[in-house]
Amino acid sequence: MLADWLYIGIFLIISLFLPSVALIVAGILGPKKPNPVKNSTYECGVETFGESLTQFKVQYYLYALVFLVFDVEAIFLYPWAVAYQVQTVFYVVEAIIFVLILLFALWYAWRKGALEWV
Amino acid sequence: MTADFATMLSAVFPEIGLVVLMVVVLGLDLLWRDERVRRLGWITAAGCLFLVVLSLVFALPPAEPLLIWGGMLRLDAAGFVFRIVFLLGAALTALFSLGQDDLQKHGEYYGLMLVSTLGMSLMASAADLIMLYLAIELTSIPLYVLAGFRFRDDKSVEAGIKYLLFGAMTSAVMLYGLSLLYGFSGTTQIAELAEQIDRHSVPVSLLVISLVLVLVGFGFKVSAVPFHFWAPDVYEGAPTPVAGYLSTASKAAGFAVLMRVILTGFWAVTPIWMDLIAGLAIVSMTVGNLLALTQTNIKRLLAYSSIAQAGYILVGVAAGTSFGMSGAVYYLMAYLLTNLVAFGVVSVVGQRVGSDDLSAYAGLSRRAPAVALILLISMLSLGGIPPFAGFVGKVLVFAAAVEAGRWWLALIGVINSIVALYYYLIVLKSAYLLRSEDEQKPLQLMAGWRVALLVCVTGVLVLGVVIAPWFEWAGKAGWALSIY
Repeated sequence: MLADWLYIGIFLIISLFLPSVALIVAGILGPKKPNPVKNSTYECGVETFGESLTQFKVQYYLYALVFLVFDVEAIFLYPWAVAYQVQTVFYVVEAIIFVLILLFALWYAWRKGALEWV
Repeated sequence: MTADFATMLSAVFPEIGLVVLMVVVLGLDLLWRDERVRRLGWITAAGCLFLVVLSLVFALPPAEPLLIWGGMLRLDAAGFVFRIVFLLGAALTALFSLGQDDLQKHGEYYGLMLVSTLGMSLMASAADLIMLYLAIELTSIPLYVLAGFRFRDDKSVEAGIKYLLFGAMTSAVMLYGLSLLYGFSGTTQIAELAEQIDRHSVPVSLLVISLVLVLVGFGFKVSAVPFHFWAPDVYEGAPTPVAGYLSTASKAAGFAVLMRVILTGFWAVTPIWMDLIAGLAIVSMTVGNLLALTQTNIKRLLAYSSIAQAGYILVGVAAGTSFGMSGAVYYLMAYLLTNLVAFGVVSVVGQRVGSDDLSAYAGLSRRAPAVALILLISMLSLGGIPPFAGFVGKVLVFAAAVEAGRWWLALIGVINSIVALYYYLIVLKSAYLLRSEDEQKPLQLMAGWRVALLVCVTGVLVLGVVIAPWFEWAGKAGWALSIY
């Protein structure tokens, strides 16, 4: 048990050691000739503009929420589908109710205009 | 004892009914989208009352507590009594919300209230730590939204955010405590916790750490000092019916889980939790009452009063006996009706006068004698004056404390009740003695408000005069909580 953890510890030390050595050695040995072009921020060949913290439309959030509901629904249906062979009618009814509730939620979101891009 | 499928299904009929009712309310809101949505309050209230009938018919608890749904829920008198308390609370709150267009015109308002009621109902009958935690979250999350429901009103938003931050924080701490409890015992079944902890001979110090962490979460829910800081701000900012709901049903749910978990999970450290709860009771009563003395906003005053009331109920819990639990349950029933009617009057006056200051109550006895009389009854009941419900509740919890040999706790409680009378009477003084310029203008009451106020006041009187049948149920609930 302890030996297993020892390996992890050794790898951890090596993985911290090697990159830091590479960075430090490069920093010491490399030539340093800064100029304005080199120091400027580089983003895909285009000059950056504005702040990096910009405002996003709140509707992304709504979309994400609606998406999440159905994402989770899919995950919940996987174990149900795997156990399909041993199921009784009760489990099928349960799953149908589950999906119906989520469908109701979709209808709700739709009618409330959550799916419209304003 | 295991149950067959039909019993299990009929035991959760009221919960299924709550989901169906929520779907109906939200669906009607989507279909109507016009003036007719104002009827949703009535539909919610009627639906909740129907569910009360449904639980009386189908979900009556058996003589022996029964574990159902794979040990997730426990069918017993405690869960039953609390469920009826929550359903009544939701119905009355829905009626008090009528006439407030920023609330009643949104189907979500009633939908969220029903979801939170569902959560409370599951909280009260949860028999598994995971179920318990899920139910607590199911209760809390809609309540965070409801507290901030007036999203154009800064105070309401502040209330919502404050409640969310406090709730999330204490919930995390409580979850840590519950996870420790699971770690000690290797089971999430509340009924097996005591036995497993005994078998693994868990050190007392570790159990006490877990106890303190769990008490943080429950203390927040019941707004006991020192976890009470959210209460005045949230009650003041939240829409008044929501504040009433928070201070009664949500608090009752907190007490239900508190009693269930500490009685069995912390069986091994019973004397320690008794002392801790007694300490919480003393500081809650004292701090709540002293801070209430200087309030001029009635919602803040009632918030501090509800903190003090949580202290009185904790006196019953601190007794640790079956009688103490029964007293606490009775107190909670009485408190639900009394405080709901108090917040109901505040809601009515707030709507018609447009202010929650004590000065708004000047001349109330001339403008609306019936409302003033109802306020009088609720304030005297909160203060513990016979023949109202609050008096019986206080007698029971103090008697339980004396019986358990904690007479000093009862003594502090009685002294606090006398202090509390001062600020309850201040409210009545504004209503009855102070004059105002608007005395000639009578207050117009909506039909829904009249019904709700009348039901509450009748309940306060009935619980205060005809004690035996209700105490029998409270006794059964207390008994069911204390046996495992």
